[in-house]
Amino acid sequence: MLVPGALPVAVLRGVTAGYRDRLVLRGVDLTIAAGERVALLGPNGAGKSTILRVLAGILPARSGEVLLGGDPVARLGRGQVARRLAAVPGQASLPFATRVEEVVGLGRLPHEDPFRGPRAEDRAAVTAALERVGITALRDRDARELSLGERQLVLLALAVAQGAPLLVLDEPTVHLDLHHQVAVMELLADLNARDGTTILAVLHDLALARHFFPRLVLVDGGRVVADGPPRLVLRPERVRAVYGVDPGILDARAEAVELNGGAGLR
Amino acid sequence: MLSRAPRRRVAGLSPFIVALAVFLAACAGSGTPAPSGPAPTGSIAPVATGTPTAPPEPEPTPEIPVEPVYPVTVTDDDGTDVTIPAEPQKIVSLTPATTEILFALGADDRVVGRTDADDYPAEVAAIPVVVTSTKIDIEKIVALGADLVFAGGNNFTSPDAIAKLRQFGIPVVVTYAPDVEGVLEDIELVGTAAGAPGPATELADAMRAEIDAIAATLGPGDRARPRVFYEIDATKEIFGPADDSFLAEMISLAGGEPITTGSPTVFSIPLERLIAADPEVIVLEDAAYGVTPEQVAARPGWDAITAVRSKAVRPVNGVVVTRPGPRLVEGLRALALAIDPEAPLPPAAP
Amino acid sequence: MTGGARLLVLPRARARQGADALRRRPGLLVGLGLAALVIAVLAAVAAGSVAIAPADTLGILLRALGLPVEASWSPAAETIVLDLRLPRVLTAVVVGAGLAVAGATFQGLLRNPLADPYVLGTASGAALGAAIAVLVPVRAVILEFGLLNALAFAGALGAVAVVWALGRGGAFAPLTGLLLTGYAVGSLLAAGLAMTMYLSGANLRQIFAFLLGGLEGSSWLRLAVAAPLIVGGTIAIAARARVLDGLLLGEEAAAHLGVNVRRERVILLGLGSLVTAAAVAVSGLIGFVGLVAPHVVRLLVGPSARLVVPLSAVFGAALLVLADLGARLAGEIPVGVVTALIGAPFFVVLLRRARLGYEL
Repeated sequence: MLVPGALPVAVLRGVTAGYRDRLVLRGVDLTIAAGERVALLGPNGAGKSTILRVLAGILPARSGEVLLGGDPVARLGRGQVARRLAAVPGQASLPFATRVEEVVGLGRLPHEDPFRGPRAEDRAAVTAALERVGITALRDRDARELSLGERQLVLLALAVAQGAPLLVLDEPTVHLDLHHQVAVMELLADLNARDGTTILAVLHDLALARHFFPRLVLVDGGRVVADGPPRLVLRPERVRAVYGVDPGILDARAEAVELNGGAGLR
Repeated sequence: MLSRAPRRRVAGLSPFIVALAVFLAACAGSGTPAPSGPAPTGSIAPVATGTPTAPPEPEPTPEIPVEPVYPVTVTDDDGTDVTIPAEPQKIVSLTPATTEILFALGADDRVVGRTDADDYPAEVAAIPVVVTSTKIDIEKIVALGADLVFAGGNNFTSPDAIAKLRQFGIPVVVTYAPDVEGVLEDIELVGTAAGAPGPATELADAMRAEIDAIAATLGPGDRARPRVFYEIDATKEIFGPADDSFLAEMISLAGGEPITTGSPTVFSIPLERLIAADPEVIVLEDAAYGVTPEQVAARPGWDAITAVRSKAVRPVNGVVVTRPGPRLVEGLRALALAIDPEAPLPPAAP
Repeated sequence: MTGGARLLVLPRARARQGADALRRRPGLLVGLGLAALVIAVLAAVAAGSVAIAPADTLGILLRALGLPVEASWSPAAETIVLDLRLPRVLTAVVVGAGLAVAGATFQGLLRNPLADPYVLGTASGAALGAAIAVLVPVRAVILEFGLLNALAFAGALGAVAVVWALGRGGAFAPLTGLLLTGYAVGSLLAAGLAMTMYLSGANLRQIFAFLLGGLEGSSWLRLAVAAPLIVGGTIAIAARARVLDGLLLGEEAAAHLGVNVRRERVILLGLGSLVTAAAVAVSGLIGFVGLVAPHVVRLLVGPSARLVVPLSAVFGAALLVLADLGARLAGEIPVGVVTALIGAPFFVVLLRRARLGYEL
């Protein structure tokens, strides 16, 4: 378990990466310290999800360095990566009817004994994760039958059960209504404050990001174009330049967020 | 798609067969071989050793060419050497033709299993069925204590079943007659294996003589012979004799020039080819399924055919024509008459 | 636990408790399954077209195991039980288990509930191989496996290899690409099969018999050759059950959970195909077992592969044993027909209950 303030949890240095013939990241520098809560922002196609994949070692970097918990991710086994980084996808699909408890239980795969299967401590971790995320009542339901908001919480609980020090989320609020968006954001803030979990979330909603994250990283065209607190990163000219929209919209959104009980930064 | 191993079906008795059967029974009586010895090699002992039905009292017999000798090794039509250690008492026949042959040779009292397609002579009804169109009941064959099994080649009997029976030490003799001479050889093969070689040779010789006589008069030669199409089925595609097939040979011996499909492995003939070949006679095997000359004449495009226009479309009993058994000569005669009702057939043997 | 509860028509809470209790003791579940399987095997060995007293059947079996039992039955009965029925029933056990496990594997690997062991062209490849063997006028028999079985095996594996080579890369996600390529290759091979059948003439019946699947050709020797492949493959798959679990949420999620997806995909594909090819070489194309058995098991215990794989093996074995028994008693209709009669209605029910779009 990493001590907050010690080694950075994740480092990208001069990373280029892409898919097949398409180069997406063109030299990304990003350092995330333990205990931070960071939002990755940027227009579609800017490379936000690609950064997450490179960090998890799923997509190999073509050049540059990728360090996870201090070690080059290319040298880590997948099991080792899974114990350092837990990912929450924006959406996932299940081919078979699966109980919520079992879905969350998948988060224990990196820890389980390959021969003996889940042990008491694994089951306890699952129960704790369900409680932490507040979905204990849903544990026996078929995960495919839940509402969008509930499903997102299930995926979050899975990542919590995984118990990794770094929690990475890829657009976790895409299909959610405002109420659930706020709920997820507050949960993340709680995990960060109480458990010291480092959070790195790709968000598309600037208002949410501005409201809930002390550090924003703006990505555009495969590069980091701004990295810092919201008031510096989201200056109107920059928003206009990167997104091509009137930044006034942001303020309206921010009001809506506050009206829905988001207490903002803690 | 039809699987065209020659099909055996029944027609009526012919006086020839009755006479021959009586004659053979008389021969068999005095030619009784030594009692069956110990169980055949392999793991099977007869389930219950029933006494074989008492042989007919020895009659004064004419000279018998061959005494059954055991053990005997025969080479079956698959090329396998099969050894039969003693006179078989529990014979199972997996083809209708072999059943007829066994009856004709007087060995029917030792037949304990037959197929459900066996229909001649009427006495077959008394014998238990061990083979249906879907299933070879190996358990039953084993339980009956079979000591000789006759199977059909060319996949008529599943090769797996044959292998399995042989695995259990049961001698299996495979018969398959691709041509008329093959039928006669099969009769002798069955006779040798089943313990009636003398009657078998007699039967085969007699049949050969008759066939030769018919072929001499009607077979390929100087006289003009009509082009004959033997219709097996025409409900969807038209099925007829393939090149160099058993049927083609029968037609040729019976006085016709056979119209064939153009390939030894294809059994269907396109209508254009048939019309171009223009048969002068059409013989309907499918008359057994209700096809009449009037129906044939009504088929679109068929009125261009000489046979249809001159009303030379006649039914024939396909069973005796195609079953490679003792009634083959009867079939040949029936076919000849279907081709030409005035055919100058030599008189039938007594 | 929704489907199972509805099926069992028990009060939900009670059913849930019972299912939970069972799920927590996988050993108990497997034990129960095995007991049921043994009973099915005994019933199948005792029944057949020749009536043999059950006491005699039991006696024959016990005596064969070495116990001192008086032989009060005929040698023919002993042959029937030990050399005809027993190898056939045991072959059904092995083939049924293999097909069910392969089905579970492909369903998990391809994340598709409609997948079965033949989804990657295996069936068409095996059928084409068998048809070619029938066409070729060569008689070769090794260890009671003829050219037919050998080419069916080769055809099955060959088809998968082609699908694998063609299906990777390309515009689609790897799984989708595999499925679609499997379909395309399968169709192509089926066309080749139709052509071969057309040319086969008198041997058509043999090809059909293979296509419909059957256990008539079972023997101890064949079982001894095929069983190690199928059983070994099944055990190897069972050992990788957690990989299948990891794949439940998708390949990327699996990677995040520590699964080496690229390596495991090849391994599971290879093992599943090997087991299927061996099963097909022994007994032709028997359908529905590989599709239905894993689903029934999932209805009872959920989708966790750790339980589904071994229980599918047990259930698939029992299913095929009973289907073969039915086929034998009904006059030796092809066992594939019986499994279809059982499986098709179930499949329809499954389709009706399936969610369209199972997004999380």
